[in-house]
Amino acid sequence: MYKTLSKADLPKLIANWMEQATVYAPVRQGDFTKFQPLSDPAQANLYFAANTRYPPKALFLPQSEVMFRVKDGEFESTQDEVSSRVILGIHACDTRALQLLDGVFLAEDYQDPYWAKKREQTTLVVLGCADPCETCFCTSVGSGPFDKRGADVMLIDVGGEYVADVRNEKGQALFDHLPDASLEQIDTSRQVQAAAAAKMEKPFESEGIKDRLYSLFDSDFWRHVQQSCLGCGVCTFLCPTCYCFDIVDEAQRSERVRNWDTCMFRIYSQEASGHNPRPTNTERTRQRIMHKYAYFVERYGQIGCTGCGRCVRYCPVDLDIRQIICGAQTWEES
Amino acid sequence: MNNRWTPRIVVFQCQYSLYCEADQRWMDTQLPPHIKLISVPCTGRISPLFVLNAIQGGADGLLISGCQPEKCHYKEGNLGARRQLDEFWRFLTYLGMEEERMRFAWIDLSERGRIQQELADLEEAIRAIGPIRRLVTRAIPVGENP
Amino acid sequence: MNQLIPAIRQEAARILQEDIVDVVIGFKAGTLPLKAQPAFITREEDARKLVYNGFCQNNLASYLTRRPKEERMGIICRGCESRAIRALLLERQHDRDKLYLIGVPCVGIIDWRKIEREVGENTLQAGEEGDEVIVSARDGEHRFQRADVLHDSCQRCLHPNPVGTDIVLGDPLPEGDTERAWAPAIEFEALPPEERYAYFIQEAERCIRCYACREACPMCYCTECFVDYTTPRWAESMITPSGTQAWHIIRAFHQTGRCVSCGACERACPMDIKMTYLTDKLNYDMVQQYGFEVGDSEKAQPPFAAFTLDDKNRFVR
Repeated sequence: MYKTLSKADLPKLIANWMEQATVYAPVRQGDFTKFQPLSDPAQANLYFAANTRYPPKALFLPQSEVMFRVKDGEFESTQDEVSSRVILGIHACDTRALQLLDGVFLAEDYQDPYWAKKREQTTLVVLGCADPCETCFCTSVGSGPFDKRGADVMLIDVGGEYVADVRNEKGQALFDHLPDASLEQIDTSRQVQAAAAAKMEKPFESEGIKDRLYSLFDSDFWRHVQQSCLGCGVCTFLCPTCYCFDIVDEAQRSERVRNWDTCMFRIYSQEASGHNPRPTNTERTRQRIMHKYAYFVERYGQIGCTGCGRCVRYCPVDLDIRQIICGAQTWEES
Repeated sequence: MNNRWTPRIVVFQCQYSLYCEADQRWMDTQLPPHIKLISVPCTGRISPLFVLNAIQGGADGLLISGCQPEKCHYKEGNLGARRQLDEFWRFLTYLGMEEERMRFAWIDLSERGRIQQELADLEEAIRAIGPIRRLVTRAIPVGENP
Repeated sequence: MNQLIPAIRQEAARILQEDIVDVVIGFKAGTLPLKAQPAFITREEDARKLVYNGFCQNNLASYLTRRPKEERMGIICRGCESRAIRALLLERQHDRDKLYLIGVPCVGIIDWRKIEREVGENTLQAGEEGDEVIVSARDGEHRFQRADVLHDSCQRCLHPNPVGTDIVLGDPLPEGDTERAWAPAIEFEALPPEERYAYFIQEAERCIRCYACREACPMCYCTECFVDYTTPRWAESMITPSGTQAWHIIRAFHQTGRCVSCGACERACPMDIKMTYLTDKLNYDMVQQYGFEVGDSEKAQPPFAAFTLDDKNRFVR
């Protein structure tokens, strides 16, 4: 169902939601935008930046999550009740990423309770991108600026107002009382969506990428590509689809904690004996790219990348994944 | 100032610095409970990481006790410590730490009763400035929860 | 600066052709208008890919410890890079005979953040013309004075001229102003302690422990960093104040007498965290107390690697 909402009325709607739930939206802090719980609807800044630097996956898989505590010799749960949450202004790429991660955390044989609870309690009100960024490449990985998969509501900016594409019951609970969108508005919203996707250039062809990368496994390609890579964690930590974590028992805190980890760190797969199956940056770079564009495809049938472009923008050495995939498609062994 | 508050003091003591047996025995057995002793083979072993760890853990004051220059059991260990620890303390005060919280006392073998005097002096200085509040991250500052 | 490019390419091609080096490390055009990419040229015909401009963000000395030890490297280095290389050689991280250093005086690195703050995130093209930086964004063209958009560390750079190189291309530039170089650290120290502390906490709070600062820094080459130790746990890997503050304090401190003030750490940080106010203070102290500045000499021991009986330090009783 399609509803409509004028931009001027959005703060009132947010205030309405805030009575029943914690509302998260991009909030500006200096040069930054970050998803924060709102204490005032006016804080929401949906257009300040193309996207937040820090990914909203942190709202479901916190960077540091205490799994349990030990107090006076007893285990203590740290899973407080998760309150009802609305996330407003999340983009399609980040939303699609959450859906991809559901494949990991809500698998048939095991459901991660920390993830599951947060997903259940959260409604995603997605703001589609009418004006995609230069570094965005969602259309190259099977997604798009208005990809609705994973959205409970998709907002399409048609000028002075939004057309809200309400996708399910969760979305209805928030938007039901609003007026229906007119046919004209719906038509405009379709044009906006088509135009946005059409604007985007495709830096690479992802068709057949899985098999292509497998064929390059032993190739010199990886040694060549990784030369400038510093082996830091920027790409992984800003990525909305990366999910690897490290569980640590922090003795000084008497807590077991789960922290984000990155396969780009040398010690990521180093074993207690000292042996490291990925001893150099070559193996590690190969692993990261292939995990996203080959192994994830193998396992879940989808590319493990939603083209948000954060890794492209913030990599300290401008190591561009678009260039890497494109290079992989055209690599000739010498 | 809550006068029930007792400063928590951490002492890093080089194991050779107290030649006088009576003093060493006092350190080993009669230290008041609010003073923690960490014995090191030489002050040269003390890394800035130890100092930071103690601060983050809530130490209101730190005393580093070592041998006089030229009297180091390991020849020059204490000299190596001096530059680093001095600069580290200067760095922490640059970040807002009160200078009074750390002292470095080089005790000559003949100075009996010196260690007790240093500890008493340090405690007095700490009482005057109050419990540590900056850079404490792993313990509740005393003043908040008497 | 652009006039140096042909000379750089020519020299790079020459040392490859004459088999003096196995690889030449420099920069090439990147995929983003405001950043160049590090380049690793192994064939003489590829030397023409090399560029040299204000978008060359990284300190190339950080690749010295990443390449195979037997490799002979040619490195195109600016002031801070050449000093970092000197510092690394002092710490025996490589053989001087395996290096061929092509020195270029540095006119400073453009801070892409300063540009995007004005122009927004969608730059289409960027170039330099004399003292100006010209950026075209979706809303049209913008012009900046180079001096206004240089990275902070470059604005107060003391040593733009390379040292200890095998050749220097281009004319030397005037050395920087010592007052200007140390002013931020001195001014910071003059602030009341609560303000200094608040600033430190505020900066450290944003940290996501990606360690981009560490990896971008040429002097951080430890195969096991102190953050990886679990017994004892010096800095927990959580993004808590405990772990993050320990990280910033100790990483800066481990640079004492080694940091060349290049600012690569700040440029690498995805969260725009300020760090040079920490290392600048430590470097300043080394100058004041020991008359030591890293990169000044090929032989002088860094202060923490040495000590004397006559050291005048506080709290010596």
